Amino acid sequence: MEVDSDVPMRDAVDEPLDPTLDEDARAFPAVSEGETSGIADHKSNKPLELTKGSIGQLDKWIEHLGKCQILSEEDVSSLCKMAVDVLQFEENVQPVSVPVTICGDVHGQFHDLIELFKIGGPCPDTNYLFMGDYVDRGYYSVETVSYLVAMKVRYPKRITILRGNHESRQITQVYGFYDECLRKYGSANVWKMFTDLFDYFPITALVDNKIFCLHGGLSPMIETVDQVRELNRIQEVPHEGPMCDLLWSDPDDRGGWGISPRGAGFTFGQDISEQFNHTNDLSLIARAHQLVMEGYAWSHQQSVVTIFSAPNYCYRCGNQAAIMEVDENHNRQFLQYEPSMRPGEPTVSRKTPDYFL
Amino acid sequence: MSDDLRKGLLSSRFRSAEPLLGISEDGAAPAEAAPAQAAPTPPCYWNQFFHSNQQIPARARGLRFNVYQSLPRAADSSESVPVFVFHHGAGSSALTFAPLARELTSRTNCGTFAFDARGHGLTTPLRDQDSVSFYNADFAQDFQFLIEQLRLNCQDSLPGVNLRFVLVGHSLGGSICASVFSELTPETRALVTGVAALDVVEEAAVAALASVDTFLAKTPSVFPNMTDAIDWHIKKGYSNCRASAEIAIPALFRPLPSGKVVRITNLQVFRPYWHTWFTGFSSRFVDLPTAKLLMLAGSDHLDKQLIVGQMRGKFQLVVFQESGHFIQEDTSIKTAITLLDFYKRNGSKTVVIKTNWKSRNVKTHNSS
Repeated sequence: MEVDSDVPMRDAVDEPLDPTLDEDARAFPAVSEGETSGIADHKSNKPLELTKGSIGQLDKWIEHLGKCQILSEEDVSSLCKMAVDVLQFEENVQPVSVPVTICGDVHGQFHDLIELFKIGGPCPDTNYLFMGDYVDRGYYSVETVSYLVAMKVRYPKRITILRGNHESRQITQVYGFYDECLRKYGSANVWKMFTDLFDYFPITALVDNKIFCLHGGLSPMIETVDQVRELNRIQEVPHEGPMCDLLWSDPDDRGGWGISPRGAGFTFGQDISEQFNHTNDLSLIARAHQLVMEGYAWSHQQSVVTIFSAPNYCYRCGNQAAIMEVDENHNRQFLQYEPSMRPGEPTVSRKTPDYFL
Repeated sequence: MSDDLRKGLLSSRFRSAEPLLGISEDGAAPAEAAPAQAAPTPPCYWNQFFHSNQQIPARARGLRFNVYQSLPRAADSSESVPVFVFHHGAGSSALTFAPLARELTSRTNCGTFAFDARGHGLTTPLRDQDSVSFYNADFAQDFQFLIEQLRLNCQDSLPGVNLRFVLVGHSLGGSICASVFSELTPETRALVTGVAALDVVEEAAVAALASVDTFLAKTPSVFPNMTDAIDWHIKKGYSNCRASAEIAIPALFRPLPSGKVVRITNLQVFRPYWHTWFTGFSSRFVDLPTAKLLMLAGSDHLDKQLIVGQMRGKFQLVVFQESGHFIQEDTSIKTAITLLDFYKRNGSKTVVIKTNWKSRNVKTHNSS
């Protein structure tokens, strides 16, 4: 066997690999990012004050959405503008009081969200804290996120909605919310409004200074809760860095920090969780982000709890869902539930790949 | 390193590897294994994508493998250097990875290795054609053999270089990557940074097998000339990138004296083996004890095993919506950048996770 000496040997250029992929290099379709929806063009300099008229409007929307019917594009625009004037005044670490019911991923499973409110009690009689991932994968992301945002605007002190890693322009273009908006509204306008709104969602919450709630997990760049307060959260979820980690990281059985198999965020061990709780005088980290078959799962000797509130995820995973009630005395109780009955499944066309060529 | 020095290294590598590969002194295959027909001719232009092309007779496998590769340049041992090892899908060939391989080697110091699997391209049986079977395990054992040889060759020709392997499989090749991992020797497995599967989902693949007859009925085996063959594949959407099709599609055909071209791979021959190809892939992939990357074309059409794995954070998922099934051909640049990012994230044992936590030093580990 001989080397073909006629082969030109090209020396590879020794250019350092860019640690982050630029937008263009990521696997997302071109959606003009320059144009915004305009929902934040006329922000108020003080939190939204509800009037009789706006309460009536919101109640009408909530009733309509409660029947799994979408709002008109104009109404979504009005709703998102109101929501900006609520959410822009919330903190990166939004303070929440007990009693509160803490919930995990919903992912567009609207009928299961209604079931959640049946199990946990109606809002505003029960206070709720949702830890992100309202959209994508399920068939009713538009209804789900519209409903939760309407509830947030109507009862701003009774419900907290954090940002998950799916509340992002990039992720929603791949996992369903963008397509659903196109399908239901015939344009991407509603998708633009909601994804512009997502930038204003708080990224963590602190329940009575004791339970730190967030979608993903800890970051090697965030040792104290105060460091979260210093972040500029009003932006698309970055590919890396502390804000990315808070929305992407997972607890792990191995100690220390680890590279996340997800390709974003990190894994963190029990030593890290215990140290974080100790440093910040916390009793618990509550997070979502991972599918757990019982709907909730403890890790790190009860330093961390994972809560997942989408039963039979993607209509096929066979998992239970759960929410966690925390009462005035900080007693915790988990409520598990099964998938609700849904009307006929919408048909979603899927390509059958040609595996032979 | 100068080109001369590099060529010198390459030829010494091949000489030393020859006994392992069952090749005699003069480079010819052992007499008893020589095939009756003339040596096959590789398609033109492969050398724009890979540094070398060899026929590797492997008596243990009963095959003469057609292999394309580029070795990395020598590097300081403190720096790990990836070698991307490719396995193509059914009905495809090594050169489906040509554009991707070029993108990889043009971006960083890395190696690439692609080969024609049994029943494909210019890989031929050493003896009787009829004795070749096409079970998942057959492909996996071939791949295992070649990866082990590649490791020995690399270690021999690039002593002291801290090599890492990334296994990359498209379609059936992705399934073979998931199967081969546990078959590797511990020495080789220790060097594998991760496995990347390109557009393979068990449930969808098994469903596609049900409609193969329709597909085959619509797929001509003979074209009047190579240009028509390329045009047909583009027109049918099997390739979305003409430049990639021009290197990948000719490798699937053999020219006849008449000027016509005939498809090399007889897809019908594989029928008895289909049921073994993808069954168990999704759970096998999710459970691989190494870093995993799944790249899908079009949409996020995961099956249950993959959804559960993904929602537990077990692997990285990237979807190229604008791509057809042949991700490596249609979006070779993005695929290369994604693979390099995947390698960089998971590849180095010395990766340091920057932390500003002051209280104490916390240990770090990588995902494997």
